[in-house]
Amino acid sequence: MEKSEVRSIYLLAGFLVFAYALPFAVGVWTDSIFYDRQWLADLATVALSGLMQGGVYAMFAVGLTLIFGVMRVINVAHGELVVLGAYLTWVMFNMPEWLGIDVYVDPLLSMVVSLPLAFLLGYGIQKLLLNAVVGGPELTPLLITFGIGISLVNIVEWIFTTDYHTIPYEPDAIHLTASIAVGKNKVISFGMAFLISMSVYIFLKVARLGKAIRATAQNADVAMVCGINIYSIYMITFGLGAALAAAGGTLVSIQFGFNPETGLQYTVVAFAIIILGGRGNFIGALIGALMLGVIENLIAFMVPNGSAMVEIAAYGLMICTLLIRPRGLMGAKEG
Amino acid sequence: MALHKDEIALDVQDLHKHFGGIKAVDGCSLQFPKGKISGLIGPNGSGKTTTFNLLTGVTAPDSGKILYNGENLAGLKPYKIFRKGITRTFQITRIYREMTTFENMLSVAGLSIPEREVRQRAEELMDFVNLTGLRDEYGGNLSYGQQKLLEFSRALMTDPDLILLDEPAAGVNRTLLVELLKHIHELQEQGKTIIIVEHDMNVIMNHCEKIFVMDYGVKIAEGLPEEIQANKQVIEAYFGHT
Repeated sequence: MEKSEVRSIYLLAGFLVFAYALPFAVGVWTDSIFYDRQWLADLATVALSGLMQGGVYAMFAVGLTLIFGVMRVINVAHGELVVLGAYLTWVMFNMPEWLGIDVYVDPLLSMVVSLPLAFLLGYGIQKLLLNAVVGGPELTPLLITFGIGISLVNIVEWIFTTDYHTIPYEPDAIHLTASIAVGKNKVISFGMAFLISMSVYIFLKVARLGKAIRATAQNADVAMVCGINIYSIYMITFGLGAALAAAGGTLVSIQFGFNPETGLQYTVVAFAIIILGGRGNFIGALIGALMLGVIENLIAFMVPNGSAMVEIAAYGLMICTLLIRPRGLMGAKEG
Repeated sequence: MALHKDEIALDVQDLHKHFGGIKAVDGCSLQFPKGKISGLIGPNGSGKTTTFNLLTGVTAPDSGKILYNGENLAGLKPYKIFRKGITRTFQITRIYREMTTFENMLSVAGLSIPEREVRQRAEELMDFVNLTGLRDEYGGNLSYGQQKLLEFSRALMTDPDLILLDEPAAGVNRTLLVELLKHIHELQEQGKTIIIVEHDMNVIMNHCEKIFVMDYGVKIAEGLPEEIQANKQVIEAYFGHT
């Protein structure tokens, strides 16, 4: 490894240590840290919740990094796809009631429908709007996805208004010890996110189609002369990315409220994660997601009025990583 | 002597490709004989690699025909041409550096045989070029010569009928080159057609049965090695007017 490489990774590691220490420092400064048993238990709870939340973030970050890795398309509509997944879940959750049947469709079960739908939407977007511009200047697909994002927000607003929606799902807590507890919905989300991410990872590693996707990501020109129809790979990849985003949307919807505008927040989160983890790198996205989830929760816990500061964590991590080590923790060197 | 239709593997007719004001290929017609090793030579910038790119769909021609089994391939996407049984290697090897040797072999698409047979074929081909020991090594960790062998064996995964090799000897040590040439002859014995672009004249003159010479985007000569060696126009193209 080159000297500058080693330096930049140490610098980034140093920055991350500093970033994690900062909420503690602010906590000490504002006297919101107590060194008693209860506070430590709360800290453990918060860190655990952060980890769980990170798992959900990983869902859509993995989709985004896949799209970028294969096509070099910066999909700024990714958060909107997440929200679309949340709305699909909400619709299916309430559908039986609207039809006068007294049951609810389990949000996890609704993925059986919402994921294929999101896949088809992503597939169609790539086929109709993006295939023609992939490989050209990066600004063109970026602007197209920007337009798609705005259109999605407006369509969702038109159908569902700007009201916040929530899905009441498994609100109980699981007690690990008497004082450390974590929401059941969070654990379920994390488990599901882990399962889906791992399935995608194994698919990319083992399946022939997965290998073709990786091959296209590494070198599209070579993939073409090795018989790979890269255009259909692009469509499948965008479909897969959209399905992952929608899966993230389902998992988000059972924990937090959402409205059509929430998408932007998730776009930023996904970008912060893939920049930190390394654009196009799957494992990097997983690590980045867990790191962001934890730091967000630490800030909310220790910094006074911290909930309002949480978004700074994502922006701050993104900006500083770009300045210190643009390729992130595990991304390939560009150029 | 003109070849009979059945003796032609690839019939290139009046191929043109311009890049801005530069005429990279300017009305080139070539008839590559079936089941033989042909050489495509010419000074630097004569249009050899562009011709290869046109034949394999990497670049689309402005005009002209590329007839293969009676079908015009001009303008088809590379993966379609590949699936018709035409494969190639590159002047500078292009392998997937972040995939293992075995994964590189398996990354080839469009095979209509079951997965088990694909894996078996990959194993056989790796054995054919002595890469079995490096099966799980990442492409990026292989030596340049080994990468060339990997690219070469990957090109054989589909059991192609026509193989285009762009400078197979470049950057390869003599021992490996002898090995590679042995493999090329073995393929020819199996009835495959091979076209080589090469600067190494020993390779071209000793191993090709027919040679085509290009200069400034046009074919200036074709014939047997001894005919080409004695061709005044070819000597002028390489060394200038004497």
